[in-house]
Amino acid sequence: MSYYDIDSILTDAEKIPCTFQLDVPELGYLDNNPGQTLKAGARVALPLWLAELLAITSAGGSDDQTKSYVAFDLPPALRNDVVQALKAEPLAVPLRDQSAHFYSLATHMMDLSEEPELSTTLRKTFVKRAAEIALHARKLGGGAGKGDEGSNLGVGGAGEEFLRGLDEWERRLFRKAHDGTKAGKEWMEKIKKY
Amino acid sequence: MPMYGDLGNKLVQHAKRTQNLQHLPAYQTELVRSVAREVRDLDREVASLLEPFQDSFDPAAEQATACTLLVNHMSMRRNKRCLLAYHRTRTDKLEELVWSGSDLLDLAGQQAGPGAANSMNGPGDSNSSSSLSPQEEDYVRQYGDLLAAYKGHWTDIDLTGSLEPPRDLFIDVRVLKDAGEIQTEYGAINLTKNSQFYVRQGDVERLIAQGYLQKLG
Repeated sequence: MSYYDIDSILTDAEKIPCTFQLDVPELGYLDNNPGQTLKAGARVALPLWLAELLAITSAGGSDDQTKSYVAFDLPPALRNDVVQALKAEPLAVPLRDQSAHFYSLATHMMDLSEEPELSTTLRKTFVKRAAEIALHARKLGGGAGKGDEGSNLGVGGAGEEFLRGLDEWERRLFRKAHDGTKAGKEWMEKIKKY
Repeated sequence: MPMYGDLGNKLVQHAKRTQNLQHLPAYQTELVRSVAREVRDLDREVASLLEPFQDSFDPAAEQATACTLLVNHMSMRRNKRCLLAYHRTRTDKLEELVWSGSDLLDLAGQQAGPGAANSMNGPGDSNSSSSLSPQEEDYVRQYGDLLAAYKGHWTDIDLTGSLEPPRDLFIDVRVLKDAGEIQTEYGAINLTKNSQFYVRQGDVERLIAQGYLQKLG
């Protein structure tokens, strides 16, 4: 995750629901009310790059325990029903519909709060889906020499459906596996020629 | 509801698209300018927020103001990151193009329409401005000079040459664009458009890379 990593920057733009813990006069625009005071308790969806620091910076309350500016919840992409669906059958959930950067969003959220159960579920999800991705990649890469045109060969509608639901990280994995298979095959053929 | 950082995000989405393209899309002058303007606006706001405090600002006492300042600061940092990442993606691409031997002229021509390299004087190119910003053009020029100087250390090896071992010493080529006369061991050849030649591969490799010639067969 480099500073210049485009995907990491785009992940940081994902919004998560936050609740403000204090009145802030100048920030009404965050809740669609420019010029108005943003009231404590207001629920606003903030991009991760903003929410993260607001959530971990303590407002430095002098009296009671130190509280932060905002409290945050898990984003809709990691809702309980999504997680339950992943538990039931990881292959049946189009992760992309939840978030194009599903995994990196999830890892980010887990950095912010302890979610041991979520972490286990996601790990299992990835393992199961990665195997399926590798399978599809091999089928396409090994098929007709031209990679992308092979998509209507051998893979049924269900496969395409699954591939459409890959998140950005999985897509990269797919592309690597696909290119690797293809390059390996080309190399083998070249060897035979000489 | 537009908020700070939205424009920067648009810029990064452009960068994301650029990563998957063969050519370099036009520089987003307007967008870059707007993001920079946003940073200046934010900076002014921070200054005016801090003004009444005269260097004695206590975040614990002024929580709401501290929160606003933090939001403004984060927005500026976000914009900075977006700007830098956008330009970095483009310079990476430019360096790649320099290494692969495309020259600056080609890059400028690309903007008219990628893939329509042979219609340089077509009706569509009335605004034949470059897809690079002036700074980027400068960068390409200087990077090209650096690369040339680096390559100069080794006279017997071409660092940007093809890694594929040649199958034949001589090849058939067709001329796609007029390239004038070149000198070879076997005399001068005049490369006029649409003519065909049987030449030594080493003599024309660069012209193929630059898109003047097309290898046949």
